[in-house]
Amino acid sequence: MGSPSYPPRSKRFRRLAAVVKSLRQMPIPQAKSTYRRLLLVWAILVTGSVLLTLNLVRLQVVQSPDLLKQARSQQMTYLRPFIPRRPIVDHNGNMLAIDHPVYTLYAHPNAFKLPKPAVAEKLAPILGQSAADINRKLDSAESGIRLEYSLAENAAARIRDLQLDGLDLNQQQQRLYPQQNLTADVVGYVDVDQVGQAGVEYSHKNLLERSVKSVRLSRTGMGAVMPDQVPGGFLHIDDLQLQLTIDSRVQRAAQIAVQQQVKKYAAKRGVVLVMDVQDGSLRALVGDPSYDPNEYYKAKLEQFKNWALTDLYEPGSTFKPLNVAIALESGAVKPDQVFNDEGEIYIDGWPIQNFDYSYVGGRGPISVTQILEHSSNVGMVHIVQQMKPDVYYSWLQKIGLGQITGSDFPFEAAGQLKDHKTFVESPVDIATTAFGQGFSLTAIQLLQLHGILASGGKLLTPHVVQGLYDSSGQPYWQPQQSTPKQIFSLTTTQTVLKMMEAVVLRGSGKGAQVPGYRIGGKTGTAQKASSGGGYQANAKITSFVGIFPIEAPRYVVVAVIDEPKGEDAFGSTVAAPIVKSVIETLITIDKIPPSQPMTIPTPTPSL
Amino acid sequence: MFRKSVLPARFKHWLQPWQAVDWWLFAAPVALTILGGIMIRSVELNAGWADWWRHWITGSVGLVLALLIARWRYDQLLQWKWIIYGITNASLLLVMFVGREELGAQRWINIFGFNVQPSEFAKLGMIITIAALLHERSASTIPMMVKVLVIAAVPWVLVFLEPNLGTSLVFGSITIGMLYWGNANPGWLLLLVSPVISAILFNVLLPIWGIGIFIIALWVAFIGWTAWKTLPWKTYGTLVPVVINLIAGGLGRVLWQYVLKDYQKQRITMFMNPDQDPLGGGYHLIQSRIAIGAGEFWGRGLYKGTQTQLNFIPEQHTDFIFTAIGEELGFIGSVAVLLTFLLICFRLLIIAQNAKDDFGSLLAIGVFSMIVFQVVVNVGMTINLSPVTGIPLPWLSFGNAALLMNFLAIGLVESVSNFRQRLKF
Repeated sequence: MGSPSYPPRSKRFRRLAAVVKSLRQMPIPQAKSTYRRLLLVWAILVTGSVLLTLNLVRLQVVQSPDLLKQARSQQMTYLRPFIPRRPIVDHNGNMLAIDHPVYTLYAHPNAFKLPKPAVAEKLAPILGQSAADINRKLDSAESGIRLEYSLAENAAARIRDLQLDGLDLNQQQQRLYPQQNLTADVVGYVDVDQVGQAGVEYSHKNLLERSVKSVRLSRTGMGAVMPDQVPGGFLHIDDLQLQLTIDSRVQRAAQIAVQQQVKKYAAKRGVVLVMDVQDGSLRALVGDPSYDPNEYYKAKLEQFKNWALTDLYEPGSTFKPLNVAIALESGAVKPDQVFNDEGEIYIDGWPIQNFDYSYVGGRGPISVTQILEHSSNVGMVHIVQQMKPDVYYSWLQKIGLGQITGSDFPFEAAGQLKDHKTFVESPVDIATTAFGQGFSLTAIQLLQLHGILASGGKLLTPHVVQGLYDSSGQPYWQPQQSTPKQIFSLTTTQTVLKMMEAVVLRGSGKGAQVPGYRIGGKTGTAQKASSGGGYQANAKITSFVGIFPIEAPRYVVVAVIDEPKGEDAFGSTVAAPIVKSVIETLITIDKIPPSQPMTIPTPTPSL
Repeated sequence: MFRKSVLPARFKHWLQPWQAVDWWLFAAPVALTILGGIMIRSVELNAGWADWWRHWITGSVGLVLALLIARWRYDQLLQWKWIIYGITNASLLLVMFVGREELGAQRWINIFGFNVQPSEFAKLGMIITIAALLHERSASTIPMMVKVLVIAAVPWVLVFLEPNLGTSLVFGSITIGMLYWGNANPGWLLLLVSPVISAILFNVLLPIWGIGIFIIALWVAFIGWTAWKTLPWKTYGTLVPVVINLIAGGLGRVLWQYVLKDYQKQRITMFMNPDQDPLGGGYHLIQSRIAIGAGEFWGRGLYKGTQTQLNFIPEQHTDFIFTAIGEELGFIGSVAVLLTFLLICFRLLIIAQNAKDDFGSLLAIGVFSMIVFQVVVNVGMTINLSPVTGIPLPWLSFGNAALLMNFLAIGLVESVSNFRQRLKF
């Protein structure tokens, strides 16, 4: 075995036999008593049991809180189902905003079964990109290349039909605004996370976001989500939509009119508001320039704000009818009272003159109606001076100056009015207020103020949301409108409306005339206050307020054009045509018959 | 025993054939089988199938067979030992050719529509064969021990080739346990398993150098000393085991470093740190650890264990049934199950002690070794003490063949108990 040279075969065999023999004759080891064997068996058994039990203690007593936490965390999954925002429709049910699924296309070239150029070739016509472009993108990474986002449903379906490996379509929801920039100032937009950022999308997010609670569900070892803890109606989506009072047709007409004037007078911006004085609902609110909420990220920042609500300006002459109404209501002035229009007067040493003083001079004794017709500043000062300052101030507060209108738009700014002490003790402030300067308000507040005159004296709250309606048109929720405060008596407002009709018939508001219809109005051409105090030399803000039809007022239309350029830029020339155009649209849409014989020159009848 | 005092006289007549059986040894497996059925039902509740009742049917059949075997003289098996051995090997050979493959191993053959797993019955066949051999001559001599080892090696190799590592390990533990009980020198048994230990020690300790080398040297010296003390021819007797151990150690090192692939190594060591691959090889171990830990002291309640009901544990109704017990019945339930097994082991040892002959005593010890090994390795596996080997938990795991075989084994040991007194004529 271990020896270097092998012994002869016989010797080896003998040695092996000797080994076997020694094995056979080996003294049997002291036969251990069964007891001792049993002891070892027991020792093994006890050791095994103790080992297992100690480890059970370790897992089930010592580490169990931690392991239980691990179990919970892998068995729970939180599900927040994606539910689209409710659509927004206009007064007639036209879609203004709706969610629709879009797809992001990812490519993973490492999973392609076809060569990259072949894939690019197939995708090119669907994506509307060149095959070479796609191919370049495919070369950029091994996987996770975003080829296209916001793919429409049909494009996604075409890509799916290609049945190519290595392409991935991710569905997400996108807010679509079919009317593009038409209603941007009203509706607003949502950002990439579907969060409302402006307009109704912002102010009414509670109505637009369907209430969805995230649900805690059990998850199986295979990753399947168990349905047992899903609450009933989990996937039920209501068919409610948010209806606005806006009428797209009026909106479009107003938009065209305002765009035209803004362009014609190279103005900075313009806004048109149309309110139904039956309840304060807005039929239109258009700002120009506007933006496309579908591509909000391309717009300039200042375009997002709805300046009809956020920016204050001094209303100027458009405020005069309200002063007249206050004077009449307070009894300080009679409708047929006559005032002396000197053309220029001095208050506390400050000159106050009519806008046309330089070429018309003093008009002498004129009626209240004529003061409005000619937009006489001096006449207005005399009217206001009939009232005690204290009484006048309390009326200004009563009609809401210095406050917000309480509309359902977000970010509305409150107007500014001097404090009581300053106002009462300063005859100049009272005098400037008489012709609409020295205080400021928003365009929507001007709309509200004229709403008082048009509605027979009620302070209406302008609003744009009609309510939540289901698909069959049944109302589900409607905003509670508080009973409007009665400010003026019907007699007063009717008197003022007649005067305003005279403005359109004979005075500065001729530009808003529509043959056959009775329209009241007032122009305004105000200087713009500069940020440094005082007034800017060339910047003015022109406006026109129209109320119609005078015999039974239904609509107030306000048009404001900011900083129109040109010698002939006045409320009468810039803003009045817009209001006229909007009124013509309202006549068509509401099929309002003419109330007066038309003064169309008829051909001489041939007998 | 309580039967004498508790049972009314009327039943005595009926129980006459079983008058010396160990009723505890029937009660404990029956209790485990009932619990097994309930736990399997719990596992299957949300898994989409419901054949848990088959566990009780098979258990009932097994119990009836065990009762029949118990009244039948076990020592008649002595003359059948080679036939049993032959059938065991033949069935294991058969499964290699006509067996149904599942999970990468050929383990099942179809007999009359039943899937039979010959390796389960081979355990019992091997216990009977070895017991019969050692009954004739004890393992106190080396040739006898070698003879037993060679005879046990045939079915062992056949099972190993299926491949069925778990069952082959059970075979090993049965063989060693019975050799030990059959008067083999414990030193020889140590020498028998020492190469495996060497292979492990070399791999674990060699990279540490200093102290590692020292411990290896101590171990090899211990082996040499054991050989010197227990083997006949001192020089060669000492040298050969030492050399074999050194070679085994070296081979183990080579095998580990150059032959085994990473995933194969992982499978062996994963149980020590399953977090190294929580979604792959460690998943099973981590999930079963979480389930048992989540059970806490009192358990989550039957059918209320979330790990179990949400199917986080693969193969839970078979090899991992203990995790369901651990989670739903808690520490209390787990310990109760372990105590029940301890009771079975205790009764088996009593029977082994009191058997009328070596054959009976060795049968009891064979069954004892089999059950102890399976319980320790299976439960150890679920609590991350041993690797995942595919050894079922007796009477609890779903598996008809194993359940039936366990009852047959109990029946055989009950027969040993029943006929422990010499018959009086």
